[in-house]
Amino acid sequence: MAMAIAADTQESGQQQVIGVEGHQFLTFCLGEELYGMDILQVKEIKGYTAITKIPNMPSHIKGVLNLRGTIVPIVELRTAFGMPTIDYTAFTVIILVVVRDRILGLVVDSVSDVVSISQKDIQASPDFGTKVDVKFLSGIGKSGDKLVALLNIDQLLTEGYMQEATAATA
Amino acid sequence: MNGDYSKFLHTFFEEVTEHLSVLESGLLTLEQNPNDVEILNRIFRSVHTIKGAGPMFGFTTMSRFAHKVETLLDPLRNGKFSATRQIIDLLLKSADCLKMLVEAAKNGTVIDEDKTVLDLEARLETCMTIPPPAPVTSASRTYQISWMPGEDLFQRGLNPLKLFEEMGRLGTIRSCMLATSRLPDLVDLDPQRCYLSWTCTLETDYPREDIESVFEFTTPPGGLTITSLSSCSPAAQPTQKPDPEPAPPIIDEEEDPQLAEVFFGRKSDHWLGAILVEQKAVTPVQLAKALDRQDTLRAKTKEQKAETSMRVDTEKVDKLVNLVGELAITQSMLSALGGRFEIEHLPILQERLLQLERNTREIQERVMGIRMLPISTAFNRFPRLVRDLSIKVGKNIQLLISGEDTELDRSVIEAIGDPLTHLLRNACDHALEPPEERVAAGKPEQGTIRLNAFHEGGKICVTVEDDGRGLNRDKILAKAIEQKIITGNDTLSDDQVWALIFRPGFSTAEKLTDVSGRGVGMDVVKRNIEELGGIVSIKTVTGRGTIFTLNLPLTLAIIEGMKIRVGQDTYIVPLLSILESIQPKADMVKTLIGTGEGVNVRGVFYPIVRLYEVFNLQPEHKNPAEAILLILETEGERVVVMVDEILGQQQVVIKSIEENFRKVDGVAGATILGDGTVGLILDVRGLVKLARQEQSIAV
Repeated sequence: MAMAIAADTQESGQQQVIGVEGHQFLTFCLGEELYGMDILQVKEIKGYTAITKIPNMPSHIKGVLNLRGTIVPIVELRTAFGMPTIDYTAFTVIILVVVRDRILGLVVDSVSDVVSISQKDIQASPDFGTKVDVKFLSGIGKSGDKLVALLNIDQLLTEGYMQEATAATA
Repeated sequence: MNGDYSKFLHTFFEEVTEHLSVLESGLLTLEQNPNDVEILNRIFRSVHTIKGAGPMFGFTTMSRFAHKVETLLDPLRNGKFSATRQIIDLLLKSADCLKMLVEAAKNGTVIDEDKTVLDLEARLETCMTIPPPAPVTSASRTYQISWMPGEDLFQRGLNPLKLFEEMGRLGTIRSCMLATSRLPDLVDLDPQRCYLSWTCTLETDYPREDIESVFEFTTPPGGLTITSLSSCSPAAQPTQKPDPEPAPPIIDEEEDPQLAEVFFGRKSDHWLGAILVEQKAVTPVQLAKALDRQDTLRAKTKEQKAETSMRVDTEKVDKLVNLVGELAITQSMLSALGGRFEIEHLPILQERLLQLERNTREIQERVMGIRMLPISTAFNRFPRLVRDLSIKVGKNIQLLISGEDTELDRSVIEAIGDPLTHLLRNACDHALEPPEERVAAGKPEQGTIRLNAFHEGGKICVTVEDDGRGLNRDKILAKAIEQKIITGNDTLSDDQVWALIFRPGFSTAEKLTDVSGRGVGMDVVKRNIEELGGIVSIKTVTGRGTIFTLNLPLTLAIIEGMKIRVGQDTYIVPLLSILESIQPKADMVKTLIGTGEGVNVRGVFYPIVRLYEVFNLQPEHKNPAEAILLILETEGERVVVMVDEILGQQQVVIKSIEENFRKVDGVAGATILGDGTVGLILDVRGLVKLARQEQSIAV
């Protein structure tokens, strides 16, 4: 999957006249770490509001939210990545992304910026061995002097999320 | 013809489907009143429309077949034949065949030289053994034309003589008589007015429409009567333009044998495309393109199997438009008020908000109303079904339908068709006794099945009632023991015994017939109705008959719900499944075998499902005596669910969780609560399943 995304990025990068422009990414923070996701996948950003719990769900699925009449599931990225949870602050936001025609909300500590990262500044995700699972990352991007971990949202959906959904519909 | 007419196609199929149902119900009525010309005319018009519209979309087989049917209907209408049972049978079969052709056309499959079609066509033709000169082939016909022009004919500068000359060009005028009956006395006569009328006989090759067109614009409504003299019926058909009148075919397949050969593949079994290429009508490239398009269209139609569009009464839409207008006014008044709000305006604000609430509620009701259809849409096919079945099983059965105007959500209507069909088949095959047995039991020979629909307390009840032998308790019990569903020692209440017949694979029929007896039907009935959020119940008296009652929600999109609370969480329980709610005394709660927990309500023991345990929540009360117990019914079985508090009743709009997420066990859907947060709607059946799983894990 990560390969496919990388190939995709490369291809669209070439289509743009100046390859240096690269892609635009929305960056956000989880603790001290900086993450980024393809801005084209972002639907909107919304302040944290009350979420209705769904019974018997894995802990990273916080519940569902009413987005103007549509029921949207919310995933807490910290929990999904195995990071310790923190109390929500005024900066806590929900990033609503569209993946495979479904809307999904991600709770993050704060959003920071929109940056352009050219293809040549993106390197493959490092291999930490078994210690750290990097399957949710599609690569590491360099923006100025900062490193941005680029999120592979498709993978996030697949992990214990879509699979059950497809099993249920089948 | 390369315009994109797929959108018209959809309308076409909708209309054709309507016409087919008119055709079928008309034929059944005709069987009762064989001489009713009005019904015949209605049938004729339907067939005629199908025939006329078919070729526009290239459905030539359909239209050819409709034409054959029409040819048989014509002498019926003229009183040449009377509609005997055989003829009605044949016509009903033809209606089925037409339906099949329409279905085939819809799915993009080609049924052409199909055996059934050809057989029926042949039978339709032989049925006309006293053939009126077959209209397809007859070169010329004789018409009697009576023309009574409007009195202002001369003032409009028209010359009747010219019209006759023009008519003469169509064929030979055999006779022409002047009628002067309208002439007033000389004193009253206005020379500028036309009081005359004419009656002519015309022999012509041209279709009736051409004759009509001659007199177009010169004739007031009802002023022109054209009678085909080939028919001996004196009943003349007034032919006003807007009336879709029967006419000899405008396009005749015989006219263009080459085209006919291409379309019907008469001589060769080549594909149409291949023939077209062969005859250089199209290039191979065009053909390939067309085939591609056909494929994508087909794929599309397969995807959109379910009807995606609906017809709505214009009146309903108009009312809605008015309401939306009112809503807009209220909204602008509110925003004007909000623009410079002072606290003394509060009463006005409250009043406007009330108005807004009224508007919203009314709009909600109207919009739901748009989804409503009379249940006759589902009932229409049953007279036919029962008629066919009564012949098949050799019983004399009458079907009485009432309450067909009761309105139901269209999705419910679509879904109850199958369950009702099963119930009716069962009634015909099993419930009603053969005539001899009925007479012996002192009942009328004719069995009666009543189908009724009515509103009852926010729900719709549909009942299927027969006056047959009723359910046989002993037989069902014996069968259940034989199939090891129960043991001989179980004592079951009547209701529990009747519930057995809904079990998959359960049938007491001694032998299978092709009507029923496989034990699949009742299972399907129950499942389908419950999927709709409805309930099936049975009442039966041995020897007197059985009543099946289907309790259905009015609509699927909105349900009545009970808001309940467990700890911090709010859930909605469908009101339909709640039997009662109680606050138990401590001595009502009993445990069995240590862990099994239940409550004794008026002598009946129900197992308790603690919602907080199933959903892993933090409850306020863990002691059943402090909590509230809801007695719920699902699949004829009762369970008690323990919650902290009942918050109140509310209408809720069901939203899908699966759209963006996935199915959640024990949850049927979600809704938006008054404060804008999401509330989950409990799925009682799933909940019970979940509770059982947990218990089995615990044990």
